[in-house]
Amino acid sequence: MAYSDKVIEHYENPLNVGTLDKADDNVGTGLVGAPACGDVMRLQIRVDDAGVIQDAKFKTFGCGSAIASSSLATEWIKGRTVDEAAALQNSEIAAELSLPPVKIHCSVLAEDAVKSAIEDYKQKKVTREALAKG
Amino acid sequence: MPDPFTLLGLEPSFDVSLSELANRHRDLSTALHPDRHANASASVRRQALGRAIDVNEAYRKLKNPVTRAEALLERLGLSANPETQKADPSFLMEMMTQREALGEARSEKDGDAVETLEREIAVQQKQTLERLSGAFTSLPMPGEVDAVPSVLASVHEALGELRYYRRFLDEVSAILDDLEP
Repeated sequence: MAYSDKVIEHYENPLNVGTLDKADDNVGTGLVGAPACGDVMRLQIRVDDAGVIQDAKFKTFGCGSAIASSSLATEWIKGRTVDEAAALQNSEIAAELSLPPVKIHCSVLAEDAVKSAIEDYKQKKVTREALAKG
Repeated sequence: MPDPFTLLGLEPSFDVSLSELANRHRDLSTALHPDRHANASASVRRQALGRAIDVNEAYRKLKNPVTRAEALLERLGLSANPETQKADPSFLMEMMTQREALGEARSEKDGDAVETLEREIAVQQKQTLERLSGAFTSLPMPGEVDAVPSVLASVHEALGELRYYRRFLDEVSAILDDLEP
């Protein structure tokens, strides 16, 4: 199976590879995996007070399509609000990267990772606010 | 392709004897070898070649525990990859940590650290294989009552873990090849 040029580009020069401080209150971490193929993906966001995603980082151990999907997802959500990012659809990633049907699950994984990072961030915020209220 | 167990004439079981498997493969390959059919008609030769290819494929599938488990599930009419399956978060966390440690050992060209990680994963893999084997013996055979959902769930969970370990160990081999002087 041939990878599209865009997948190869992201695979060879992935954007936003790295780690954000998990303990930071403004950082949300999503960790997802695909037991069907043995991929594991961590995606993190740092959100400012206005709810805008300032930074996004990922680390993916998986195939080229999984790496490209997470690279693209982090690039897209930077500068967007949390709610805008939550609306990201895997089909947009799959279309941009021209993923073949057998690799669609890689884009699903990236979407799941974004959503679970946002959920983690929101959960932290709720807990923090509850604590502040006492 | 026919079921690999039937093709090799083996009793379907996760705990198939690897030596018996190798013997069956050898015997069938010898019987199907083109030299044995050199004087036969073209159609017989073609048939023997086709079967020889199927036998090799069946052997390859049954040798590997992941594909062997998948073949067993297929015989039982059960899915090997339920789409709803999610990996356990603490397992994922552990795999992420191990993969990062492996990446670090690789960039530091620390062969000893790579081998230590390899041993750790090999131990975990062995435990998961035992769990999978146990789960399979609790699964009913075709034609019997439906598989117990909880048993099936533990088969799928163990199978998922094995795929992670296999990926990890493949990566270890690639790194060790690179580190060879």
